[in-house]
Amino acid sequence: MKLNHLNGGQQLAVKYYTVAIILFVAQIIFGLLSGMQYLVPDLLLGVLDFNVTRTIHINAMIVWMLYGFMGSVYWLLEEESKTEIVGLKLGNIGFWLLTTAVTIVVLVFLLIQSGPGDDFTRWFINEGREYIEAPRWADIGIVICMLIFFYNAAATFMKGTWSGISGVLVLDLVALAGIYIAGMFYTPNISIDQYWWWWVIHLWVEATWEVLVGCLMAWGLMKTLKVDRKIVTTWLYIEVALMFGSGILGLGHHYFWIGTPEYWLTIGGFFSALEPIPLVAMVVHAVYDAGARQMKGNNNPALAWLIAHAFGNFFGAGVWGFMHTLPQINLYTHGTQWSASHGHLAFFGAYATIIIAMIYIAVPYIRGQEGIGSNLPDGGWKWKWSLGLLNLGVVGMTIALLISGYEQSFIERAVGGSTWYGYFAAQIHPWFVQGMEWRMIFGLVTAVGLVLLIWDLLTIGKQKQA
Amino acid sequence: MLEPVELKDFFIVFFSGAMVIMAGALYSLLFAWSKLQSKPWLMVLAYLAYGILFIAVLTLGSAAHLHGYWWWLVIAMLVGYLLAPHGIWKLCVATHLIQKPTQTDDLPHSKKLQSKL
Repeated sequence: MKLNHLNGGQQLAVKYYTVAIILFVAQIIFGLLSGMQYLVPDLLLGVLDFNVTRTIHINAMIVWMLYGFMGSVYWLLEEESKTEIVGLKLGNIGFWLLTTAVTIVVLVFLLIQSGPGDDFTRWFINEGREYIEAPRWADIGIVICMLIFFYNAAATFMKGTWSGISGVLVLDLVALAGIYIAGMFYTPNISIDQYWWWWVIHLWVEATWEVLVGCLMAWGLMKTLKVDRKIVTTWLYIEVALMFGSGILGLGHHYFWIGTPEYWLTIGGFFSALEPIPLVAMVVHAVYDAGARQMKGNNNPALAWLIAHAFGNFFGAGVWGFMHTLPQINLYTHGTQWSASHGHLAFFGAYATIIIAMIYIAVPYIRGQEGIGSNLPDGGWKWKWSLGLLNLGVVGMTIALLISGYEQSFIERAVGGSTWYGYFAAQIHPWFVQGMEWRMIFGLVTAVGLVLLIWDLLTIGKQKQA
Repeated sequence: MLEPVELKDFFIVFFSGAMVIMAGALYSLLFAWSKLQSKPWLMVLAYLAYGILFIAVLTLGSAAHLHGYWWWLVIAMLVGYLLAPHGIWKLCVATHLIQKPTQTDDLPHSKKLQSKL
Protein backbone atom coordinates (compact mmCIF):
# COMPACT_ATOMS: atom_id res chain seq x y z
CA MET A 1 0.00 0.00 0.00
CA LYS A 2 1.40 3.41 -1.00
CA LEU A 3 1.27 5.90 1.86
CA ASN A 4 3.57 8.63 0.51
CA HIS A 5 0.70 11.09 0.12
CA LEU A 6 -0.03 10.90 3.87
CA ASN A 7 1.81 13.04 6.40
CA GLY A 8 4.28 11.46 8.86
CA GLY A 9 1.81 11.19 11.71
CA GLN A 10 -0.78 9.58 9.47
CA GLN A 11 1.75 7.05 8.16
CA LEU A 12 2.53 6.09 11.74
CA ALA A 13 -1.22 5.96 12.50
CA VAL A 14 -1.74 3.39 9.74
CA LYS A 15 0.81 1.13 11.46
CA TYR A 16 -1.03 1.49 14.78
CA TYR A 17 -4.41 0.83 13.15
CA THR A 18 -3.04 -2.30 11.44
CA VAL A 19 -1.79 -3.82 14.70
CA ALA A 20 -5.03 -2.73 16.42
CA ILE A 21 -7.08 -4.76 13.95
CA ILE A 22 -4.75 -7.79 14.29
CA LEU A 23 -5.17 -7.64 18.07
CA PHE A 24 -8.94 -7.19 17.66
CA VAL A 25 -8.92 -10.51 15.74
CA ALA A 26 -6.86 -12.09 18.56
CA GLN A 27 -9.36 -10.78 21.12
CA ILE A 28 -12.26 -12.42 19.28
CA ILE A 29 -10.43 -15.75 18.67
CA PHE A 30 -9.45 -16.08 22.33
CA GLY A 31 -12.90 -14.88 23.41
CA LEU A 32 -14.48 -17.65 21.36
CA LEU A 33 -12.07 -20.17 22.89
CA SER A 34 -12.87 -18.94 26.43
CA GLY A 35 -16.59 -19.09 25.67
CA MET A 36 -16.26 -22.67 24.37
CA GLN A 37 -14.39 -23.67 27.51
CA TYR A 38 -17.48 -22.77 29.55
CA LEU A 39 -19.46 -25.24 27.43
CA VAL A 40 -16.73 -27.90 27.00
CA PRO A 41 -14.56 -27.59 30.12
CA ASP A 42 -12.06 -30.20 28.86
CA LEU A 43 -11.32 -28.24 25.70
CA LEU A 44 -7.53 -27.70 25.47
CA LEU A 45 -7.20 -28.61 29.15
CA GLY A 46 -3.53 -28.59 30.09
CA VAL A 47 -2.62 -27.02 26.74
CA LEU A 48 -4.39 -23.67 26.77
CA ASP A 49 -6.35 -23.46 30.00
CA PHE A 50 -9.21 -21.03 30.55
CA ASN A 51 -7.05 -18.69 32.61
CA VAL A 52 -4.67 -18.32 29.64
CA THR A 53 -7.31 -17.84 26.93
CA ARG A 54 -9.24 -15.35 29.07
CA THR A 55 -6.07 -13.42 29.91
CA ILE A 56 -5.21 -13.07 26.23
CA HIS A 57 -8.85 -12.24 25.35
CA ILE A 58 -8.92 -9.34 27.80
CA ASN A 59 -5.36 -8.10 27.37
CA ALA A 60 -5.73 -8.14 23.58
CA MET A 61 -8.82 -5.97 24.00
CA ILE A 62 -7.06 -3.42 26.23
CA VAL A 63 -4.03 -3.29 23.95
CA TRP A 64 -5.90 -3.09 20.63
CA MET A 65 -7.92 -0.20 22.01
CA LEU A 66 -4.73 1.49 23.17
CA TYR A 67 -3.27 1.02 19.66
CA GLY A 68 -6.51 2.40 18.22
CA PHE A 69 -6.37 5.50 20.42
CA MET A 70 -2.70 6.09 19.67
CA GLY A 71 -3.31 5.63 15.95
CA SER A 72 -6.19 8.10 16.09
CA VAL A 73 -4.11 10.73 17.89
CA TYR A 74 -1.22 10.30 15.42
CA TRP A 75 -3.76 10.57 12.58
CA LEU A 76 -5.09 13.96 13.68
CA LEU A 77 -1.81 15.31 15.10
CA GLU A 78 -0.38 17.23 12.11
CA GLU A 79 -3.77 18.46 10.92
CA GLU A 80 -4.76 19.70 14.37
CA SER A 81 -1.37 21.31 15.16
CA LYS A 82 -0.92 22.66 11.62
CA THR A 83 2.71 21.59 11.60
CA GLU A 84 4.90 18.54 10.97
CA ILE A 85 5.07 15.93 13.71
CA VAL A 86 8.02 16.32 16.09
CA GLY A 87 10.07 13.20 16.84
CA LEU A 88 8.63 10.95 14.14
CA LYS A 89 11.67 8.65 14.28
CA LEU A 90 11.23 8.27 18.01
CA GLY A 91 7.51 7.63 17.44
CA ASN A 92 8.41 4.84 15.02
CA ILE A 93 10.86 3.38 17.53
CA GLY A 94 8.09 3.54 20.17
CA PHE A 95 5.73 1.70 17.83
CA TRP A 96 8.19 -1.13 17.17
CA LEU A 97 9.18 -1.29 20.85
CA LEU A 98 5.54 -1.60 21.91
CA THR A 99 4.73 -4.12 19.19
CA THR A 100 7.78 -6.25 20.03
CA ALA A 101 6.88 -6.15 23.74
CA VAL A 102 3.25 -7.13 23.03
CA THR A 103 4.39 -10.01 20.78
CA ILE A 104 6.83 -11.35 23.38
CA VAL A 105 4.25 -11.04 26.18
CA VAL A 106 1.64 -12.93 24.15
CA LEU A 107 4.18 -15.66 23.30
CA VAL A 108 5.12 -15.96 26.99
CA PHE A 109 1.42 -16.16 27.93
CA LEU A 110 0.92 -18.89 25.32
CA LEU A 111 4.10 -20.93 25.74
CA ILE A 112 5.21 -20.47 29.35
CA GLN A 113 1.88 -19.37 30.85
CA SER A 114 2.69 -19.31 34.57
CA GLY A 115 5.50 -19.58 37.09
CA PRO A 116 6.09 -19.75 40.84
CA GLY A 117 4.94 -16.78 42.93
CA ASP A 118 8.31 -15.05 43.02
CA ASP A 119 10.08 -12.03 41.60
CA PHE A 120 11.20 -13.84 38.46
CA THR A 121 7.59 -14.60 37.52
CA ARG A 122 6.55 -11.04 38.28
CA TRP A 123 9.32 -9.58 36.16
CA PHE A 124 9.31 -11.99 33.21
CA ILE A 125 6.13 -14.10 33.01
CA ASN A 126 2.97 -12.65 34.52
CA GLU A 127 2.38 -9.92 37.09
CA GLY A 128 -0.90 -11.54 38.10
CA ARG A 129 -3.16 -8.49 38.07
CA GLU A 130 -6.33 -9.07 36.08
CA TYR A 131 -6.49 -7.03 32.82
CA ILE A 132 -2.88 -5.86 33.19
CA GLU A 133 -1.10 -9.20 33.55
CA ALA A 134 1.92 -8.08 31.51
CA PRO A 135 5.19 -8.76 33.38
CA ARG A 136 7.12 -5.87 34.94
CA TRP A 137 9.67 -5.45 32.12
CA ALA A 138 6.80 -5.00 29.66
CA ASP A 139 5.12 -2.53 32.05
CA ILE A 140 8.23 -0.39 31.98
CA GLY A 141 8.30 -0.68 28.19
CA ILE A 142 4.64 0.41 27.99
CA VAL A 143 5.32 3.48 30.14
CA ILE A 144 8.34 4.39 27.97
CA CYS A 145 6.18 4.07 24.84
CA MET A 146 3.46 6.21 26.43
CA LEU A 147 6.06 8.86 27.28
CA ILE A 148 7.30 8.84 23.66
CA PHE A 149 3.68 9.15 22.55
CA PHE A 150 3.22 12.06 24.96
CA TYR A 151 6.41 13.71 23.68
CA ASN A 152 5.28 13.38 20.05
CA ALA A 153 1.92 14.96 20.83
CA ALA A 154 3.04 17.69 23.26
CA ALA A 155 6.12 18.74 21.26
CA THR A 156 4.16 18.87 18.00
CA PHE A 157 1.47 21.09 19.50
CA MET A 158 4.13 23.26 21.13
CA LYS A 159 5.82 23.73 17.76
CA GLY A 160 2.54 24.29 15.92
CA THR A 161 -0.70 25.72 17.26
CA TRP A 162 -2.66 24.77 20.34
CA SER A 163 -6.42 24.28 20.34
CA GLY A 164 -8.98 23.33 22.97
CA ILE A 165 -8.93 19.74 21.76
CA SER A 166 -5.14 19.51 21.80
CA GLY A 167 -4.91 21.09 25.27
CA VAL A 168 -7.31 18.56 26.78
CA LEU A 169 -5.65 15.76 24.84
CA VAL A 170 -2.10 16.50 26.01
CA LEU A 171 -3.14 16.87 29.65
CA ASP A 172 -5.00 13.59 29.35
CA LEU A 173 -1.91 11.84 27.99
CA VAL A 174 0.01 12.83 31.14
CA ALA A 175 -2.64 11.02 33.19
CA LEU A 176 -2.69 8.09 30.76
CA ALA A 177 1.02 7.37 31.29
CA GLY A 178 1.09 8.43 34.95
CA ILE A 179 -1.83 6.36 36.21
CA TYR A 180 -0.42 3.17 34.68
CA ILE A 181 2.48 3.41 37.15
CA ALA A 182 -0.01 2.84 40.00
CA GLY A 183 -0.36 -0.77 38.85
CA MET A 184 3.35 -1.53 38.73
CA PHE A 185 4.53 -1.94 42.29
CA TYR A 186 4.18 -4.99 44.49
CA THR A 187 2.70 -5.26 47.97
CA PRO A 188 1.84 -8.49 49.82
CA ASN A 189 -1.40 -6.91 51.15
CA ILE A 190 -4.14 -7.84 48.68
CA SER A 191 -6.41 -4.94 49.75
CA ILE A 192 -3.70 -2.34 49.19
CA ASP A 193 -2.69 -4.06 45.96
CA GLN A 194 -6.26 -4.01 44.64
CA TYR A 195 -6.73 -0.44 45.83
CA TRP A 196 -3.98 0.81 43.47
CA TRP A 197 -4.73 -1.70 40.75
CA TRP A 198 -8.22 -0.17 40.40
CA TRP A 199 -6.61 3.21 39.84
CA VAL A 200 -5.29 1.86 36.56
CA ILE A 201 -8.45 0.04 35.55
CA HIS A 202 -11.11 2.50 36.64
CA LEU A 203 -9.26 5.76 36.14
CA TRP A 204 -8.01 4.65 32.74
CA VAL A 205 -11.38 3.37 31.61
CA GLU A 206 -13.77 5.83 33.25
CA ALA A 207 -11.57 8.92 33.20
CA THR A 208 -8.55 9.12 30.87
CA TRP A 209 -9.96 6.91 28.11
CA GLU A 210 -13.32 8.69 28.27
CA VAL A 211 -11.59 12.07 27.93
CA LEU A 212 -9.48 10.74 25.04
CA VAL A 213 -12.67 9.50 23.41
CA GLY A 214 -14.25 12.93 24.04
CA CYS A 215 -11.35 14.54 22.12
CA LEU A 216 -11.64 12.03 19.27
CA MET A 217 -15.43 12.49 19.16
CA ALA A 218 -15.02 16.28 19.02
CA TRP A 219 -12.54 15.99 16.15
CA GLY A 220 -14.63 13.27 14.46
CA LEU A 221 -17.76 15.47 14.55
CA MET A 222 -15.86 18.32 12.94
CA LYS A 223 -14.64 15.98 10.19
CA THR A 224 -17.86 14.10 9.45
CA LEU A 225 -20.57 16.70 10.21
CA LYS A 226 -18.51 19.90 9.85
CA VAL A 227 -19.60 20.96 13.33
CA ASP A 228 -18.14 24.32 14.38
CA ARG A 229 -14.86 24.07 16.34
CA LYS A 230 -15.98 26.51 19.03
CA ILE A 231 -19.03 24.38 19.78
CA VAL A 232 -17.22 21.04 20.01
CA THR A 233 -14.48 22.60 22.12
CA THR A 234 -16.92 24.17 24.57
CA TRP A 235 -18.77 20.88 24.88
CA LEU A 236 -15.53 19.00 25.35
CA TYR A 237 -14.79 21.19 28.41
CA ILE A 238 -18.33 20.67 29.76
CA GLU A 239 -18.10 16.92 29.19
CA VAL A 240 -14.72 16.64 30.89
CA ALA A 241 -16.02 18.61 33.91
CA LEU A 242 -19.13 16.42 34.20
CA MET A 243 -17.17 13.23 33.68
CA PHE A 244 -14.52 14.00 36.26
CA GLY A 245 -17.17 15.36 38.67
CA SER A 246 -18.78 11.97 39.08
CA GLY A 247 -16.34 9.55 37.42
CA ILE A 248 -13.25 9.98 39.60
CA LEU A 249 -14.98 9.18 42.89
CA GLY A 250 -17.17 6.65 41.07
CA LEU A 251 -13.96 4.64 41.55
CA GLY A 252 -15.53 3.76 44.90
CA HIS A 253 -17.78 1.11 43.33
CA HIS A 254 -14.68 -1.04 42.91
CA TYR A 255 -13.75 -0.57 46.57
CA PHE A 256 -16.95 -2.05 48.01
CA TRP A 257 -15.66 -5.54 48.76
CA ILE A 258 -11.86 -5.48 48.75
CA GLY A 259 -11.26 -4.66 52.41
CA THR A 260 -11.22 -0.86 52.18
CA PRO A 261 -12.92 1.28 54.88
CA GLU A 262 -16.72 1.32 55.00
CA TYR A 263 -17.04 4.94 53.85
CA TRP A 264 -16.24 3.76 50.33
CA LEU A 265 -19.68 2.11 50.24
CA THR A 266 -21.27 5.54 50.57
CA ILE A 267 -18.83 7.41 48.32
CA GLY A 268 -18.92 4.71 45.65
CA GLY A 269 -22.69 4.31 45.85
CA PHE A 270 -23.46 8.02 45.62
CA PHE A 271 -21.03 8.99 42.88
CA SER A 272 -21.69 5.88 40.79
CA ALA A 273 -25.44 6.49 40.98
CA LEU A 274 -24.94 10.07 39.79
CA GLU A 275 -22.56 9.10 36.96
CA PRO A 276 -25.34 8.48 34.40
CA ILE A 277 -27.00 11.91 34.89
CA PRO A 278 -24.59 13.77 32.54
CA LEU A 279 -24.85 10.88 30.08
CA VAL A 280 -28.65 11.12 30.07
CA ALA A 281 -28.63 14.93 29.93
CA MET A 282 -26.39 14.78 26.86
CA VAL A 283 -29.38 13.38 24.96
CA VAL A 284 -30.58 17.00 24.93
CA HIS A 285 -27.42 18.06 23.15
CA ALA A 286 -27.66 15.20 20.64
CA VAL A 287 -31.26 16.18 19.78
CA TYR A 288 -30.27 19.85 19.51
CA ASP A 289 -27.40 19.17 17.15
CA ALA A 290 -29.34 16.65 15.09
CA GLY A 291 -32.03 19.31 14.63
CA ALA A 292 -29.47 21.94 13.70
CA ARG A 293 -27.51 19.83 11.21
CA GLN A 294 -29.96 17.20 9.94
CA MET A 295 -27.08 14.69 10.07
CA LYS A 296 -25.58 15.66 6.71
CA GLY A 297 -22.20 13.99 6.66
CA ASN A 298 -19.43 13.16 4.21
CA ASN A 299 -18.50 9.74 5.56
CA ASN A 300 -21.48 7.45 6.10
CA PRO A 301 -19.75 4.47 7.77
CA ALA A 302 -17.87 6.75 10.20
CA LEU A 303 -21.05 8.64 11.05
CA ALA A 304 -22.95 5.37 11.59
CA TRP A 305 -20.21 4.15 13.96
CA LEU A 306 -20.24 7.48 15.82
CA ILE A 307 -24.00 7.05 16.34
CA ALA A 308 -23.37 3.44 17.47
CA HIS A 309 -20.85 4.91 19.92
CA ALA A 310 -23.43 7.30 21.41
CA PHE A 311 -25.98 4.49 21.89
CA GLY A 312 -23.42 1.94 23.03
CA ASN A 313 -21.97 4.30 25.62
CA PHE A 314 -25.45 5.16 26.88
CA PHE A 315 -26.64 1.56 27.24
CA GLY A 316 -23.36 -0.14 28.11
CA ALA A 317 -22.03 2.35 30.62
CA GLY A 318 -25.31 4.03 31.62
CA VAL A 319 -28.08 1.44 31.81
CA TRP A 320 -25.99 -1.69 32.36
CA GLY A 321 -23.71 0.06 34.82
CA PHE A 322 -26.41 1.68 36.91
CA MET A 323 -28.52 -1.48 37.24
CA HIS A 324 -25.98 -3.05 39.58
CA THR A 325 -23.90 -0.18 40.88
CA LEU A 326 -25.48 0.41 44.29
CA PRO A 327 -23.72 -1.59 47.01
CA GLN A 328 -27.07 -2.93 48.25
CA ILE A 329 -27.37 -4.99 45.03
CA ASN A 330 -23.72 -5.07 43.99
CA LEU A 331 -23.14 -7.32 47.01
CA TYR A 332 -24.72 -10.07 44.92
CA THR A 333 -23.62 -9.17 41.41
CA HIS A 334 -19.96 -8.16 41.88
CA GLY A 335 -17.67 -10.40 39.82
CA THR A 336 -20.47 -12.51 38.35
CA GLN A 337 -21.43 -12.65 34.68
CA TRP A 338 -23.31 -9.39 35.39
CA SER A 339 -19.95 -7.65 35.34
CA ALA A 340 -19.03 -9.49 32.13
CA SER A 341 -22.34 -8.42 30.56
CA HIS A 342 -21.73 -4.77 31.50
CA GLY A 343 -18.09 -5.02 30.40
CA HIS A 344 -18.88 -6.45 26.96
CA LEU A 345 -21.41 -3.74 26.08
CA ALA A 346 -19.56 -0.84 27.71
CA PHE A 347 -16.14 -1.56 26.18
CA PHE A 348 -17.61 -2.17 22.76
CA GLY A 349 -20.08 0.72 22.94
CA ALA A 350 -17.79 3.31 24.43
CA TYR A 351 -14.45 2.44 22.82
CA ALA A 352 -14.48 -0.13 19.99
CA THR A 353 -17.13 1.85 18.10
CA ILE A 354 -15.25 5.16 18.10
CA ILE A 355 -11.96 3.55 17.09
CA ILE A 356 -13.72 1.89 14.16
CA ALA A 357 -15.27 5.29 13.30
CA MET A 358 -11.80 6.90 13.38
CA ILE A 359 -10.41 4.16 11.11
CA TYR A 360 -13.27 4.78 8.66
CA ILE A 361 -12.43 8.50 8.73
CA ALA A 362 -8.84 7.60 7.81
CA VAL A 363 -9.59 5.03 5.09
CA PRO A 364 -10.68 7.39 2.26
CA TYR A 365 -7.62 9.60 2.84
CA ILE A 366 -5.38 6.53 2.71
CA ARG A 367 -6.94 5.79 -0.70
CA GLY A 368 -6.58 9.44 -1.76
CA GLN A 369 -10.29 10.23 -1.57
CA GLU A 370 -12.33 12.88 0.24
CA GLY A 371 -15.02 10.80 1.95
CA ILE A 372 -17.33 7.80 1.73
CA GLY A 373 -20.77 8.73 0.45
CA SER A 374 -23.88 6.69 -0.25
CA ASN A 375 -22.92 6.10 -3.89
CA LEU A 376 -20.64 3.09 -3.38
CA PRO A 377 -20.80 0.63 -6.31
CA ASP A 378 -21.89 -2.26 -4.07
CA GLY A 379 -24.31 -0.09 -2.09
CA GLY A 380 -21.96 -0.32 0.89
CA TRP A 381 -23.45 -3.66 1.97
CA LYS A 382 -20.22 -4.78 3.67
CA TRP A 383 -19.97 -1.86 6.07
CA LYS A 384 -23.70 -1.97 6.77
CA TRP A 385 -23.70 -5.71 7.47
CA SER A 386 -20.55 -5.56 9.56
CA LEU A 387 -22.05 -2.70 11.58
CA GLY A 388 -25.26 -4.70 12.06
CA LEU A 389 -23.58 -8.02 12.85
CA LEU A 390 -21.00 -6.59 15.25
CA ASN A 391 -23.66 -4.67 17.17
CA LEU A 392 -26.11 -7.58 17.12
CA GLY A 393 -23.39 -9.97 18.26
CA VAL A 394 -22.27 -7.81 21.17
CA VAL A 395 -25.83 -6.95 22.28
CA GLY A 396 -26.75 -10.66 22.05
CA MET A 397 -23.72 -11.64 24.15
CA THR A 398 -24.62 -8.91 26.65
CA ILE A 399 -28.16 -10.18 27.11
CA ALA A 400 -27.04 -13.83 27.30
CA LEU A 401 -24.45 -12.95 29.95
CA LEU A 402 -27.06 -10.87 31.78
CA ILE A 403 -29.31 -13.92 32.11
CA SER A 404 -26.41 -16.06 33.35
CA GLY A 405 -25.32 -13.28 35.72
CA TYR A 406 -28.83 -12.86 37.09
CA GLU A 407 -29.01 -16.59 37.83
CA GLN A 408 -25.52 -16.56 39.33
CA SER A 409 -26.21 -13.62 41.66
CA PHE A 410 -29.46 -15.31 42.70
CA ILE A 411 -28.33 -18.90 43.25
CA GLU A 412 -24.61 -18.56 43.98
CA ARG A 413 -24.70 -15.36 46.02
CA ALA A 414 -28.15 -14.82 47.55
CA VAL A 415 -29.30 -18.42 48.07
CA GLY A 416 -25.92 -20.17 48.21
CA GLY A 417 -24.28 -17.48 50.37
CA SER A 418 -21.17 -17.26 48.13
CA THR A 419 -20.07 -20.75 49.17
CA TRP A 420 -18.36 -23.29 46.90
CA TYR A 421 -21.59 -25.27 46.97
CA GLY A 422 -23.47 -22.18 45.78
CA TYR A 423 -20.85 -21.54 43.09
CA PHE A 424 -21.12 -25.01 41.57
CA ALA A 425 -24.92 -25.09 41.91
CA ALA A 426 -25.05 -21.87 39.90
CA GLN A 427 -22.54 -23.06 37.27
CA ILE A 428 -24.57 -26.15 36.34
CA HIS A 429 -27.98 -24.49 36.44
CA PRO A 430 -29.79 -24.59 33.04
CA TRP A 431 -30.19 -20.78 32.98
CA PHE A 432 -26.45 -20.33 33.36
CA VAL A 433 -25.59 -22.99 30.79
CA GLN A 434 -28.16 -21.73 28.27
CA GLY A 435 -26.86 -18.19 28.73
CA MET A 436 -23.37 -19.45 27.93
CA GLU A 437 -24.65 -21.28 24.84
CA TRP A 438 -26.35 -18.15 23.53
CA ARG A 439 -23.26 -16.12 24.33
CA MET A 440 -21.29 -18.53 22.12
CA ILE A 441 -23.76 -18.16 19.25
CA PHE A 442 -23.65 -14.37 19.43
CA GLY A 443 -19.87 -14.53 19.78
CA LEU A 444 -19.78 -16.26 16.40
CA VAL A 445 -22.07 -13.54 14.99
CA THR A 446 -19.57 -10.96 16.28
CA ALA A 447 -16.72 -12.88 14.62
CA VAL A 448 -18.53 -12.88 11.26
CA GLY A 449 -19.12 -9.13 11.68
CA LEU A 450 -15.41 -8.61 12.29
CA VAL A 451 -14.44 -10.58 9.17
CA LEU A 452 -16.80 -8.39 7.13
CA LEU A 453 -15.41 -5.25 8.77
CA ILE A 454 -11.84 -6.17 7.83
CA TRP A 455 -12.89 -7.10 4.29
CA ASP A 456 -14.66 -3.75 3.99
CA LEU A 457 -11.74 -1.74 5.38
CA LEU A 458 -9.43 -3.43 2.88
CA THR A 459 -11.69 -2.85 -0.10
CA ILE A 460 -14.03 0.11 0.46
CA GLY A 461 -13.52 2.89 -2.07
CA LYS A 462 -11.12 0.81 -4.19
CA GLN A 463 -13.70 0.66 -6.97
CA LYS A 464 -14.82 4.00 -8.38
CA GLN A 465 -17.89 5.43 -6.63
CA ALA A 466 -21.02 5.42 -8.83
CA MET B 1 -25.59 1.25 57.51
CA LEU B 2 -26.10 -0.98 54.51
CA GLU B 3 -29.19 -3.17 54.23
CA PRO B 4 -28.86 -5.56 51.25
CA VAL B 5 -31.68 -6.11 48.80
CA GLU B 6 -34.02 -8.95 49.65
CA LEU B 7 -34.20 -11.95 47.36
CA LYS B 8 -37.78 -11.21 46.30
CA ASP B 9 -36.79 -7.67 45.25
CA PHE B 10 -33.92 -8.58 42.91
CA PHE B 11 -35.89 -8.14 39.73
CA ILE B 12 -37.52 -4.95 41.02
CA VAL B 13 -34.12 -3.41 41.70
CA PHE B 14 -32.71 -4.30 38.28
CA PHE B 15 -35.85 -3.26 36.45
CA SER B 16 -36.37 0.01 38.30
CA GLY B 17 -32.64 0.80 37.92
CA ALA B 18 -32.90 0.34 34.16
CA MET B 19 -36.12 2.38 34.09
CA VAL B 20 -34.44 5.30 35.87
CA ILE B 21 -31.96 5.65 33.03
CA MET B 22 -34.40 4.85 30.22
CA ALA B 23 -37.08 7.21 31.51
CA GLY B 24 -34.39 9.83 32.16
CA ALA B 25 -33.24 9.57 28.54
CA LEU B 26 -36.85 9.70 27.28
CA TYR B 27 -37.51 12.78 29.41
CA SER B 28 -34.39 14.47 28.00
CA LEU B 29 -35.30 13.48 24.45
CA LEU B 30 -38.88 14.75 24.64
CA PHE B 31 -37.83 17.87 26.52
CA ALA B 32 -35.31 18.84 23.85
CA TRP B 33 -37.59 17.84 20.99
CA SER B 34 -40.43 19.92 22.42
CA LYS B 35 -38.18 22.99 22.69
CA LEU B 36 -36.72 22.42 19.24
CA GLN B 37 -40.06 21.95 17.48
CA SER B 38 -41.98 24.45 19.68
CA LYS B 39 -44.58 21.81 20.47
CA PRO B 40 -45.87 22.19 24.04
CA TRP B 41 -47.70 18.85 23.99
CA LEU B 42 -44.35 17.12 23.72
CA MET B 43 -43.37 18.84 26.96
CA VAL B 44 -46.38 17.21 28.64
CA LEU B 45 -45.09 13.83 27.44
CA ALA B 46 -41.62 14.80 28.69
CA TYR B 47 -42.92 15.40 32.19
CA LEU B 48 -44.91 12.16 31.99
CA ALA B 49 -41.58 10.43 31.30
CA TYR B 50 -40.14 12.25 34.29
CA GLY B 51 -43.15 10.94 36.28
CA ILE B 52 -42.09 7.38 35.32
CA LEU B 53 -38.55 8.23 36.40
CA PHE B 54 -39.91 9.57 39.70
CA ILE B 55 -41.79 6.33 40.38
CA ALA B 56 -38.77 4.24 39.30
CA VAL B 57 -36.45 6.15 41.65
CA LEU B 58 -38.84 5.74 44.58
CA THR B 59 -39.32 2.04 43.80
CA LEU B 60 -35.56 1.58 43.59
CA GLY B 61 -35.13 3.50 46.85
CA SER B 62 -37.67 1.30 48.60
CA ALA B 63 -36.39 -2.03 47.22
CA ALA B 64 -32.73 -1.16 47.78
CA HIS B 65 -33.47 0.12 51.31
CA LEU B 66 -32.16 3.60 50.61
CA HIS B 67 -33.01 4.86 54.08
CA GLY B 68 -31.21 7.25 56.43
CA TYR B 69 -28.51 9.26 54.66
CA TRP B 70 -29.04 7.10 51.56
CA TRP B 71 -32.31 9.00 51.16
CA TRP B 72 -30.20 11.95 49.99
CA LEU B 73 -29.21 9.86 46.99
CA VAL B 74 -32.89 9.50 46.08
CA ILE B 75 -33.32 13.27 46.38
CA ALA B 76 -30.14 13.91 44.36
CA MET B 77 -31.34 11.62 41.57
CA LEU B 78 -34.83 13.20 41.48
CA VAL B 79 -33.46 16.75 41.39
CA GLY B 80 -30.49 15.91 39.14
CA TYR B 81 -32.50 14.19 36.43
CA LEU B 82 -35.15 16.95 36.58
CA LEU B 83 -32.77 19.89 36.25
CA ALA B 84 -29.90 18.51 34.16
CA PRO B 85 -31.77 18.68 30.80
CA HIS B 86 -32.75 22.29 31.58
CA GLY B 87 -29.12 23.16 32.25
CA ILE B 88 -27.83 21.36 29.18
CA TRP B 89 -30.46 23.09 27.01
CA LYS B 90 -29.33 26.50 28.28
CA LEU B 91 -25.73 25.54 27.53
CA CYS B 92 -26.74 24.38 24.04
CA VAL B 93 -28.38 27.71 23.28
CA ALA B 94 -25.48 29.68 24.74
CA THR B 95 -22.78 27.71 22.92
CA HIS B 96 -24.57 27.89 19.57
CA LEU B 97 -25.00 31.65 19.95
CA ILE B 98 -21.21 32.05 19.98
CA GLN B 99 -20.97 30.11 16.73
CA LYS B 100 -19.52 32.00 13.78
CA PRO B 101 -21.71 31.91 10.67
CA THR B 102 -20.77 28.83 8.65
CA GLN B 103 -22.00 27.16 5.51
CA THR B 104 -24.51 25.04 7.39
CA ASP B 105 -26.14 28.15 8.86
CA ASP B 106 -27.36 28.90 5.39
CA LEU B 107 -29.50 25.77 5.45
CA PRO B 108 -33.20 26.66 5.68
CA HIS B 109 -33.57 24.32 8.65
CA SER B 110 -30.83 26.11 10.58
CA LYS B 111 -32.47 29.50 9.99
CA LYS B 112 -35.79 28.07 11.17
CA LEU B 113 -34.10 26.70 14.27
CA GLN B 114 -32.31 29.96 15.07
CA SER B 115 -35.54 31.91 14.76
CA LYS B 116 -37.15 29.56 17.30
CA LEU B 117 -34.33 30.02 19.77
